[in-house]
Amino acid sequence: MPRKVTYTVGQAGGPTREISVNVHDLDVDPWGVDAKLRVVGTEVPRLDAAVKASGRAKYTYDMNRPGMAYSRLLRCFHAHAVVTSVDTSAAAKMPGVLGVTTLLDVGGRITFAGKGVVAVCAETEEQLDDALHAIEVAYDVRPGAVTTDDGRAEGAERVDERRDNAVVGRRGRQERGDPDAALAAAAAQVSATFRTQVQTHSALETHGCVVEPTGDGEYTVWASTQGTGSFRGTMARALGIGADKVRVITEHMGGGFGAKLGGVDEWDRAAAFFARDLGRPVKAMLDRRAEHLVAGNRPDSIQEMTLAANAEGEITALVGTTHGTAGNGGGGAGAANTRIYRIPNLRMTQTTVSTFAGRARAFRAPGHPQGIFALDGSVDALAEKMQIDPLAFRLKNDPHPLRQVQWRVGAERIEWERLRREYPGDGTVKRGVGCAAAIWFQRGRGNYVVNLQVARDGSVIVSNAVQDIGTGTRTVLAMLVAEELGLTPERITVRIGDTNFPAGPGSGGSTTAPSIGPAAREAGYHARLALAALLAESWECEPDKIDWSGTTFSGPGGKNSTFDEACKLIGPEGLAVSGQRRPNYKQGFSGETAGCQFAEVEVDTETGVIRVLRIVAVHDAGRIVDPLTARSQVVGGVIQGVSYALHEDRRMDRNLGDMVNPTLDTYRILGIADCPKIDCLLTSIDSGFNNAGMMGLGEPVTVPTAGAVANAVSHALGVRMTELPITPARVLAALGGAR
Amino acid sequence: MKAFRYVRPASVAAASELARGGATVKAGGSDLLDRMKERIATPDDVVALNETPADPTLHSIVKDGDVLRVGALVTLAEIAASKEIGALYPALAEASTQAASPQVRHRATLGGNLAQHTRCGYYRLASFPCWKRGDDACPVLADGAVQDEAGIFGNDSCASAHPASLPPVLGAIGARVVIAQGEKLEERPFDALWRAPEQGVEADVALAPGDIIAAVVLPKPATGRTVAYEDVRQKAAFDWALASCAVGVTIVAGKITEASIWLGSVAPTPHRAAAAEKALVGATLSDGAIQKAADAAVADATPLAGNRYKVDLVKVVVRRALLRAAGRDR
Repeated sequence: MPRKVTYTVGQAGGPTREISVNVHDLDVDPWGVDAKLRVVGTEVPRLDAAVKASGRAKYTYDMNRPGMAYSRLLRCFHAHAVVTSVDTSAAAKMPGVLGVTTLLDVGGRITFAGKGVVAVCAETEEQLDDALHAIEVAYDVRPGAVTTDDGRAEGAERVDERRDNAVVGRRGRQERGDPDAALAAAAAQVSATFRTQVQTHSALETHGCVVEPTGDGEYTVWASTQGTGSFRGTMARALGIGADKVRVITEHMGGGFGAKLGGVDEWDRAAAFFARDLGRPVKAMLDRRAEHLVAGNRPDSIQEMTLAANAEGEITALVGTTHGTAGNGGGGAGAANTRIYRIPNLRMTQTTVSTFAGRARAFRAPGHPQGIFALDGSVDALAEKMQIDPLAFRLKNDPHPLRQVQWRVGAERIEWERLRREYPGDGTVKRGVGCAAAIWFQRGRGNYVVNLQVARDGSVIVSNAVQDIGTGTRTVLAMLVAEELGLTPERITVRIGDTNFPAGPGSGGSTTAPSIGPAAREAGYHARLALAALLAESWECEPDKIDWSGTTFSGPGGKNSTFDEACKLIGPEGLAVSGQRRPNYKQGFSGETAGCQFAEVEVDTETGVIRVLRIVAVHDAGRIVDPLTARSQVVGGVIQGVSYALHEDRRMDRNLGDMVNPTLDTYRILGIADCPKIDCLLTSIDSGFNNAGMMGLGEPVTVPTAGAVANAVSHALGVRMTELPITPARVLAALGGAR
Repeated sequence: MKAFRYVRPASVAAASELARGGATVKAGGSDLLDRMKERIATPDDVVALNETPADPTLHSIVKDGDVLRVGALVTLAEIAASKEIGALYPALAEASTQAASPQVRHRATLGGNLAQHTRCGYYRLASFPCWKRGDDACPVLADGAVQDEAGIFGNDSCASAHPASLPPVLGAIGARVVIAQGEKLEERPFDALWRAPEQGVEADVALAPGDIIAAVVLPKPATGRTVAYEDVRQKAAFDWALASCAVGVTIVAGKITEASIWLGSVAPTPHRAAAAEKALVGATLSDGAIQKAADAAVADATPLAGNRYKVDLVKVVVRRALLRAAGRDR
């Protein structure tokens, strides 16, 4: 029977609310805002920091198995083409070549540059490379648009012959109130078209896997994936075997950002078939060019926005249309920009434009960085037009109680009032300051189980199949268990990233920590109950007479026991318990996590070169378990956001239909010398919703960065920057236009 | 990468013999290996000049009377750290510091920096057509191409831009290049090193078979002569310049008697701004003269639709380099 628990959630010393929730009878009581915790909330260095920093951590790329062969795909670099001939005969006869499989036969249609046409497997990477170059494929090359503008132009070649390139998606139309009347009645309105680029995920470790047949039709697969479970399921399906025959291991992964969600890809399947047919391990990792072309991206956007307010400075209407391309897929583009500020009257139409280019994949807060760039750019423009301070304008229109706190905290840290007054300053190098908002939604999901074993020597193993995308999952699980057992996190051994353990969540939507953390906490709690039961037997009392102080058990007659002493009562075979993630409580502090960022920038008005000097990032993710790993996520999100604001751009030649900068030399990514000083201010709250009050953090931290940077640059220049990335060429063009 | 023989030459003369027979010369390898991986370069034999037994001509920075001889295998990091170079030509040390990343600077060499091929993204991807690689036309010149990084001078048949950091400075210094041909060492003027782009000719330097860049000679600056360097990079590190400029000016009794102005990242080879040089000679290094020189530097620019901003950047780097040469703030 669930029990009712009434407790307070929210921010200690800040906004709170009391909630009444039904707690599962096996689950531990939620902590609440006033909980005094010993481990959770303290700074614990990532448990795998030493193995990662020393290079001992083994990533998929590092897996080299005895007898391993290599597989790679011959790719077509035409955007739109039909295969007219394939000749693999020379390659098949080359030394070391173990297999050649044609993926696309004569007549096969290609709709993006990078499509795999022939898969080859060979003994060595060198022989593989030679064989790929010996294959001859001829194409009938056809016209094909690779940009949103070209794809929606009249007469553009269709990507999917059955329908128009431009499609308003299922959720592409939003309307509320009476936007036309609101615009007509507005005291002020601004209209502008905002453009953002296609950004590729560019994780350091490319996609790929090593597939090893282990006998009896079973396979072990090392994969760089954000979902060990979904990778296992899709791999099993590809091989036509049960998921029970496939074990997926992702001990460490070199980044994903959304691109490694979902399951196996074309190259993984090719590797698996070769492994099966040869009875040997086969490795298939993408090269960097393929990673840029075929492994996902953030769609671009062209956002026409009109934002209006009444004479009191209250936003009254937003009317907008958005076009963007998610490549050769039929949906997925769009911009999320309607949920931050109070907007009573709204009309938004979002159109996805199919193009002959590599398909988008989920990318750290899909739709949001682009949407917030346009939204907060419009908000600044409207505030400017109404001669209201942009921050005051936001405070007036932002209904989120915690973001109200965050705007003020961030403004104080960056010295908003002083900088707005003193900047842009004189001289050729101008400075500016700007801000933008973050939002996210994830309180976690699923019913995942965490196993926990305790040996009589006091050692503890926590296990689950969940992978660590890089956020510090091991450390967070260890801390939650350590909190329940009165131990230090270093005492807990965490084994994850292996489907031999109970299923764990895929790392999508910033859900990993809030989806698995509460199960770890419950597992720790169950271990403590099991030890209390052993003590009760030993002390000859009822288990409910045993108290727990946070570090020691105590019983009748002044008896007490530490965790280690209690462990001596465990039998030689050890103790095993589990914890499960229970359904989310119906109530919490807010279903939306809040955040905001402030940027301070310097712009050389002669060269157009921008340096971001400082980002103040204020974020909420429910209860922050480890401020160190949480700050690391904020720093990563900010760096990726500044990189998006200033540099990253998939540049397509519109005639040849291919990306001209598919290397890390030519695809600019923010480097260490360009990193701003980053101040992370985490407004930890108990969010409710689960026993730990946790929510997700990975995505919101990159949502506002580009918008804040763009607003700061606009402040510095006195010209609104409406296109990302803000390159020197665009700065000079904007200044030229302003002169 | 196609299989190849890796040859460790006994001397620069031996390397030259092998090169004359068709072998490709490698120094640090930071350029050549990328081209080999992409199979733009498919040599049968690679002569590892960097594995030549210690040879002061190749490996050292040597003071020789009034001049500094910098071996072709001296790395960019060594140039950046060299006290002798820093004292004589700080602009050269500065340009070396700006180049690439610390990792690359510890590998890439002076000779390789000069002999590297254009970094044009189209040239570097074998699946793209390229006039330099023998195709009919340069795709960068077409509407719809990505032109931001392309050249704005001499771009009628090849729009690539040579972005190496060191050549403009060496040009402004008036460096001479020591070429080994067999046992013979020959000094050539810096201008003579560069060749106008030709269809099907990939190298940007005018070297005959067997010619190996062995060293660069830096003359002692004449009295009143200053060299200064400026560039614009989108990123603070590990990025190619969008435009760079090195100037060498001699000022005697307040008057400019001689000027040498070289631009990088704006033409298929390092580009000498002759009109700007001419505009300066006889003038004082006043604001007016500097602006005139900056304007003259771009007078014959032929920007494409996608890189007009580079014209502005060139004017800025010319002006800033001249202001630095004059010892003035910008």
